[in-house]
Amino acid sequence: MKRRWVFVVGLFGLLMSAIPSAAADGDRLHLFNWNDYIAQETVTTFEQQCHCKVVQDYYSSTEEMMAKLLAGASGYDVVVPTQNALQALIKQNFLHPLEKNLLPNFKNSDPGFLNRSYDPENAYSVPYAFTTTLIGYNEQRLAKLGITARNWSLIFDPRVLSKLRGKVTVLDDAEEVFSAALKYLGYSINDRDEKHLREAQQVILTAKPYWAAFNSSSYIKELAVGNIWVAHGYSSDMLQAQADAKAAARDFKVNFVLPTQGAVLALDNMVIPKSAKNKALAHRFINFMLESKNAATLTNKIGAGNPNRAAAEFIDAKIRKQNAIFPDAATLTKLETLEASNAKQRRLLNTLWTEIKIK
Amino acid sequence: MKHKNLALILAAGAVFTFLYLPLVIVVVYSLNDSKLNAEWVGFTWKWYDQLFHNRALLTAARNSLMIAAISAGAATVLGTLAGMGMYHYRLKVLPALVLTPIAMPDILMGVSLLLFFIMLNMSLGLISIVLAHITFCIGFVAVSVRARMSGIDPSLSEAARDLGASPWHCFQKITLPLLAPGILAGALMAFTLSIDDFVITFFVAGVGSSTLPLQIYSMVKIAVTPEVNAISTLLMVLTLILITLTARLFPGALRS
Amino acid sequence: MKPNTARNVGSGDRWKRLLALPPMGYLLIFFAIPTLIMLFASFRYAGEYGGLAPWYGNEDGSLSINLTLENWQRLFETDLYLRLFLKSIMYALLATLLCILLGYPLALMIARSPKKHRDLLLLLVILPFWSNFLVRIYAWMIIFSPSGALTRMMNVLLATVGLAPVSLMYSSTAVIVCLVYVHLPFMVLPLYANLEKHNPALLAAAQDLGANRWRRFWDITWPLSLPGVYAGAILVFIPVLGTFAIPDLLGGTDGIMIANVIKQQFVESRDWPFGSVLSMALTAAAVLVVLLSAKMGTRRGTLR
Repeated sequence: MKRRWVFVVGLFGLLMSAIPSAAADGDRLHLFNWNDYIAQETVTTFEQQCHCKVVQDYYSSTEEMMAKLLAGASGYDVVVPTQNALQALIKQNFLHPLEKNLLPNFKNSDPGFLNRSYDPENAYSVPYAFTTTLIGYNEQRLAKLGITARNWSLIFDPRVLSKLRGKVTVLDDAEEVFSAALKYLGYSINDRDEKHLREAQQVILTAKPYWAAFNSSSYIKELAVGNIWVAHGYSSDMLQAQADAKAAARDFKVNFVLPTQGAVLALDNMVIPKSAKNKALAHRFINFMLESKNAATLTNKIGAGNPNRAAAEFIDAKIRKQNAIFPDAATLTKLETLEASNAKQRRLLNTLWTEIKIK
Repeated sequence: MKHKNLALILAAGAVFTFLYLPLVIVVVYSLNDSKLNAEWVGFTWKWYDQLFHNRALLTAARNSLMIAAISAGAATVLGTLAGMGMYHYRLKVLPALVLTPIAMPDILMGVSLLLFFIMLNMSLGLISIVLAHITFCIGFVAVSVRARMSGIDPSLSEAARDLGASPWHCFQKITLPLLAPGILAGALMAFTLSIDDFVITFFVAGVGSSTLPLQIYSMVKIAVTPEVNAISTLLMVLTLILITLTARLFPGALRS
Repeated sequence: MKPNTARNVGSGDRWKRLLALPPMGYLLIFFAIPTLIMLFASFRYAGEYGGLAPWYGNEDGSLSINLTLENWQRLFETDLYLRLFLKSIMYALLATLLCILLGYPLALMIARSPKKHRDLLLLLVILPFWSNFLVRIYAWMIIFSPSGALTRMMNVLLATVGLAPVSLMYSSTAVIVCLVYVHLPFMVLPLYANLEKHNPALLAAAQDLGANRWRRFWDITWPLSLPGVYAGAILVFIPVLGTFAIPDLLGGTDGIMIANVIKQQFVESRDWPFGSVLSMALTAAAVLVVLLSAKMGTRRGTLR
């Protein structure tokens, strides 16, 4: 009996060791990043250059990442927070100041994305990529229905929605949906006046019966398959949906548009937490990502907007000319970034959101 | 036992169909030559091929199997003891202590364990994941064992004791075989819970100690790719082989 | 209390009491202490940017205790959360009933099949659950999708009888189906463990006395299996209350359950104190329901 146990344990061990391990020898860079937000080839190139391993952990929302970091999880060398999370992390004294002499490629960054109010001298952060929140739609279906609106009315105006009942999804994210509704009403996305928020809540409640779902996870597929005709979502995802529909040779085209009333711009930044174990390697990685070609790969493979001026010439011309991915100066003025909200504001927004969801 | 209860077999067959319907889709789509996963395009092995080159995914699968085997093992031992304790003694604390973890929302348990581990200054990694998994698995084993115990004829073990069997001998030869189906059911549930947990694992996992659910969640942002279907299929087959092998080597080890 | 020698602590059986110590110790350390931390957190203020605010002391160095009841007050201020609790409990009850309905024949069939097949059949029940949770749910989404074969077939059938087509995706039906699917093995396994020990001689005796199949089931099998049903019901009812992923993915615009709101507190609005309040309330409600039904069961003599 004992021998058999030894045999089973041995067999199990053998099987386990037969599977290759990611944790090889040498230096390791622990990257805490968004899902699918760096190209595999970029990781491989970096690993070859630095003779190290890149170990990635992922999150699918700013909040997930914040929850984990705020509870005290440590050991990440580079994290890629969006500006409002960055603002909170800086205020909480969580980040290691960047040593600019280790980042010669910092000069490649587009000045338009630098010196933001939350990090005036870019003491802690370097822009990585940006996305906009916009509307993706099924071109043929909308044409057939005679819907010409290309703004927030597509998801909020009952007259438009009555033709689209059950074919619209919006993000399952209070801040994003409220931002869109505030923009639809002509307010700033950072307006936290309770009266204005209640107005926005009313707009959302009026539109809700026409929506199919709050969906943050599968709208790319639903759009590309044709189950959903209008979706509120992120620019990089819409680009993906467009490409997927094309690759599957659908009889329709997925397109996307930045609503004329303005929209949310999310700027993701590279930072080094104070608790990082390998700060030298972290700087090396950030500098590597700022290199024009590597930055360009991020846009070409992932579809993210690029705050790197030098990368422009390496970016696929087809992506470059999309205004929704690379907004021109005029469009940029209409885009706003979300600010970090305090505990009271978050609580109010959550109550309004829960009321929406249960009604 | 011979039975000709056709209705029962038909009903059970229908439930089996219900259980396997989505599974068929998982397996079929892992062999489908379309990234979009919406309709059948053509047969291919390429997702499995890609899978064997995805180091991160394979490491995560290995971590998951290891964690599930260890935590299910430990939780089965502890849960069986708890189940017996619940039956034998009217300890008020024990049922509450066993039931509450089942009732606690995952996310609160994840956050609370994370805070606790950090308070203890423990580094997060495979060990913290295993400790957390054992915590939420114990209750399931205990409830299953407890349900098996009620109604078991106590005279058997008493007779054995009267005949001079030592407590341990009596436990090994009489109680354990009687409880075996309950323990087996509990162990299977514990293994399933552990291998599939996302929420608690997300919080207590340390850097680079990713499990398969964590890895898969990070991949399905753009819907489930066939590669994810492939790893799910593979994991299922691998687990089946491991368990059948164990069962073959110990015929009757877990049987009454 | 029923006379039952096995339950009385005989002097020679004292060692059995020690058996309960390891699991108790484990749960005290890794469950009770962390939970107490969170219970305490439910009286603290949320941190300005998330997490928890310090519970004593101020920024200017003066000393004060910063604890509050306002998180608990928020729970009762509106009927919002009460309604969510009731809705979730209804869903969980429905899912539990359906699990009993589907799980019972399966468990009974396995328990009555030849001994050598039982373990294999049991393994077949649990096998689908070793694929990934999310993958299974996405498979259901394919089944429910408007372009899926099932929905199309159903709508063709509905059309022949003159009914309007329906969509299963993003509906409460889809949520219930998946809740049942995901939790079914947790009903079948403990139920099987109980049914397996029933003495076939009892049924044979009843048959000899002329009882038909239904009578034999209702008079013998069912009452004897109640502890198993009860265990299964616990393991389905309670976890269903804590589920948020299924309503999130399949629920449409009004599918949320209480666990979704709890998740929102911990991630989206980073309001840990209120998240703790909701979690504690949910846990207390669930444990109370279970212990109360256990008590009722004891009184009726069906459960011990």
